[in-house]
Amino acid sequence: MSFLLACPECGERSAYEFRFGGEVKSRPQQGDSEEAWFQYIYTKTNEAGEQEEWWFHRNGCRKWFQALRDTRTNTVIATWYPE
Amino acid sequence: MDIRFNGKAIPIQEGDTVASALYRAGQRIFTRSFKYHRPRGLLCCSGHCPNCLMNVDGIPNVRTCITPARAGMAVKHQNARPSLDFDYLAIAQQFDWMMPVGWYYKNFTNPRMWHLAEAQIRKVAGLGDPPPPDAPEAVYEHAHMQAGVAVIGAGPAGLNAAREAASQGERVVVVDDQPRTTPGDSSYTLLSRSYCFGLYEGNLLGVLQSEPHSGARERLVHIRAKRIVVATGAYEAPLTFKNNDLPGIMLSTAVWRLIHRHGIQPGTSAVIISNETGDSAIAAELRNVGIAVVATVPPSDVLEATGSKHVTGLRTRRGAFACDLVVMCGHRIPDAGLLSQAGAKLEWSAEAGAFVPTELPPNITAVGDVAHALVRAASTLVSMPNKRTFVCFCNDVTSQDICDSVAEGFDHIELLKRYTTTTMGPCQGRMCQLQAIGICARETGRAIQETGVTTSRPPNPGVTLGALGGARHHPIRRTPMHYQHEELGAVWMDMGDWKRPRYYKSAQTERESILREYHAVRQAVGVIDVSTLGKLSLKGRDSGKLLDKVYTNRFSDLKPGRVRYAVLCDEAGIILDDGTISRPLADARGYNTGDPGGTRSVAPSVSAGTIDDFFITTTTGNLDFVEQWLEWWLAGAGWDVQINNLTSALAAVNLAGPKAREVLSALTSCGLSNAEFPYMACRNAEVAGVPALLMRIGFVGETGWEIHYPAESGEHLWSALMDAGRPFGICPFGVEAQRLLRLEKRHVIVGVDTDALTSPYEAGMAWVVKHDKADFIGKFALGKLESAQAQQSLVGFTMNANQIPEDGAAILVNGALAGRVTSARYSPAVEKAIGLAWVTAGAAAEGAQIEIRVAGAPVRATVTQRVFYDPDGARLRM
Repeated sequence: MSFLLACPECGERSAYEFRFGGEVKSRPQQGDSEEAWFQYIYTKTNEAGEQEEWWFHRNGCRKWFQALRDTRTNTVIATWYPE
Repeated sequence: MDIRFNGKAIPIQEGDTVASALYRAGQRIFTRSFKYHRPRGLLCCSGHCPNCLMNVDGIPNVRTCITPARAGMAVKHQNARPSLDFDYLAIAQQFDWMMPVGWYYKNFTNPRMWHLAEAQIRKVAGLGDPPPPDAPEAVYEHAHMQAGVAVIGAGPAGLNAAREAASQGERVVVVDDQPRTTPGDSSYTLLSRSYCFGLYEGNLLGVLQSEPHSGARERLVHIRAKRIVVATGAYEAPLTFKNNDLPGIMLSTAVWRLIHRHGIQPGTSAVIISNETGDSAIAAELRNVGIAVVATVPPSDVLEATGSKHVTGLRTRRGAFACDLVVMCGHRIPDAGLLSQAGAKLEWSAEAGAFVPTELPPNITAVGDVAHALVRAASTLVSMPNKRTFVCFCNDVTSQDICDSVAEGFDHIELLKRYTTTTMGPCQGRMCQLQAIGICARETGRAIQETGVTTSRPPNPGVTLGALGGARHHPIRRTPMHYQHEELGAVWMDMGDWKRPRYYKSAQTERESILREYHAVRQAVGVIDVSTLGKLSLKGRDSGKLLDKVYTNRFSDLKPGRVRYAVLCDEAGIILDDGTISRPLADARGYNTGDPGGTRSVAPSVSAGTIDDFFITTTTGNLDFVEQWLEWWLAGAGWDVQINNLTSALAAVNLAGPKAREVLSALTSCGLSNAEFPYMACRNAEVAGVPALLMRIGFVGETGWEIHYPAESGEHLWSALMDAGRPFGICPFGVEAQRLLRLEKRHVIVGVDTDALTSPYEAGMAWVVKHDKADFIGKFALGKLESAQAQQSLVGFTMNANQIPEDGAAILVNGALAGRVTSARYSPAVEKAIGLAWVTAGAAAEGAQIEIRVAGAPVRATVTQRVFYDPDGARLRM
């Protein structure tokens, strides 16, 4: 796990500088089904391929951002701040 | 100038390695083999094979053939008793029929037998001993480098590539495993005696540099390169025939090195095994130094080597030859491990008689022999099964073993590797891989390409644990009052990186000291340094909205000047952290200073003067997490909230006890009466001239104030409190007294009394969950948990007899396991041992009898839901 990640603020840095924050998921609304909440809280897609993820630049600007990463090759295709 | 070998002085010459000095002094047996304790001598002389591993200056498994000899080095042999020359464990060879590959899997199916045997096997097999715990500690370090181009290997091809890249203006680093022999070229940086053990994602190279300077044994260099040139060359691998492991049988490259690098004549009469017809280059080399070349035979004609501790002859189809040196012109194999790690494919080339790298990934190139395998008339690859023909020198695996393993069904090369451990020793397959593949292919009737090659993974070659660990850095955080605690006799404890006083030594025993602190707080006044608490200030219009969303209780309605207990849960309803959230009161000038440090500036900043400011405290260990958690929920929300981590900027103390008000009133003009400053209120005020945020809260269960103030005034305010408190018998107290005081109040410590499955309902804190909020983190799960029957709950207990269980002690009900103790102490207030424990729902009723295991025996205890001390909280409001 030594790939490079381009922090939108600081540029390309070693992945060691970052904290992984898991897959990007959309949070259900209160009142949504139990199934929707169950999926949100307990399950992960764990995609073998391109996956949207949260990353936190712990040893840098200390900002959260999102990245599109191919989990098979650890190629980071894009990074951005969530809107 | 000499080194000590097993205590004996061995002279060294300029340019000597440890192995060359020993060889010149007449040493022929360098190691005893892993399993059979067969004598082994120099084989490769280039740091690839396991034959010269020794203990050098206390470090085991040092490749002595590439370790420069330095006067005074202490060198010892490994894995031989009593000596290399006579090793009684060589008897193991007579029992080889008992010990085929995997014999321990087959024989020690009974775990008890295995436990008995394992210790013995460990003693006789293996590769050296780790340094003893009291051995002097070697210094290791880490370094990081950035390069435009990194070249691995300083042979002709590598140096050419380096110069070419440098001439194009690139920043070039060259890594080479040999000692520097040629004068450097200033256009690139050369790391000599450094080997690259891994090529990782993002073009990261792991490089181990030996003795980067006199103060360090090894340095691990992380090189991040835009482009990598692999120029690792090719190495020579041994041939296989019976007794091919005898000392005196060497690779031609080893012979070349001994002659040219070290001026050593490695024998008097030699037989060369080579497919080259006519007079080979190596024959000329031998004759030049006066070695008689008895014969040159092709590998296919070799039957066996003879001799017991050294080769004395070679039996071939062309007759038997007496000799004291056998030169193997072995297979030349591209050293393509790094390329394979980078993702290149290794393809069998019948012409080269080797696997050659193809399909290199972008930004990685191969030059020299590693790219174009030297075509040397491929020798007969494969030997017939024999119990004395060694394929794997590291782990003593013979051609017989490999054939047997294939017959047993381990016929895939990766399975064969794991079962026989061929290619898994110190040489990492350099000496044995091709032979193993060849035998596997023949035995299974498959082609070599189809049989394939096992995966190369870093580290290869191995790396010392010390180098991976690097320098010993233990970051220590000290509070601003650290040295005052030291003067007061603090006995320290570690809490994360922080040093905190566990207690202050004021009496003969620890117990008496802690009780003294306890009684001061209960009867007079005590003060504890709580600077380690996480401290966050929140500013901005949407601060209340954020807090309402992430904390289970409500904060948007918190009145200025009030404090509220706060619990943080995740979406599954699990408690993550707790603390307090206060909303500082706007000061007389209409400014809300927000954080107490804010008044440090000459004039308070106007922008801080809104009512939307909050001040959060978190537990000591969870600050980082909480800060990131809040930032995460803010990311992309577009809310107006600024989070500021003030943990290091602020000192904090908790002044508590019936006399706390009297002490504090001497230092501040802030009204402290119940009417002016009620329980769970907060005020900005000056204390001893220091701007501070005061909160009236009571973790320890007495009237008290938590005071947050600028760190640079840390010592000043502490001294002022101690001075003002002296007439009242003030006593500084440590973490241990605090834990006892809070336990009597049944205040939970997150992470001690709760774990990764604890919801507020099970912890008895249902009141912190405000389900009337439209949404908050964990609402859905907590809704489910509220109505669910809790499997277990956190209860208090008192011991019936006078024994104190340890934290974590097991709880039994009717002899069955029913929970565990999370905290237990002797309570002076109850005059019994008390504690908190998780018990199953059935045992959670008031007055239920449980048994707690103390020192192995069950002791009776009584469950209680009540608070042990001041259950109504009257003392907090005095």
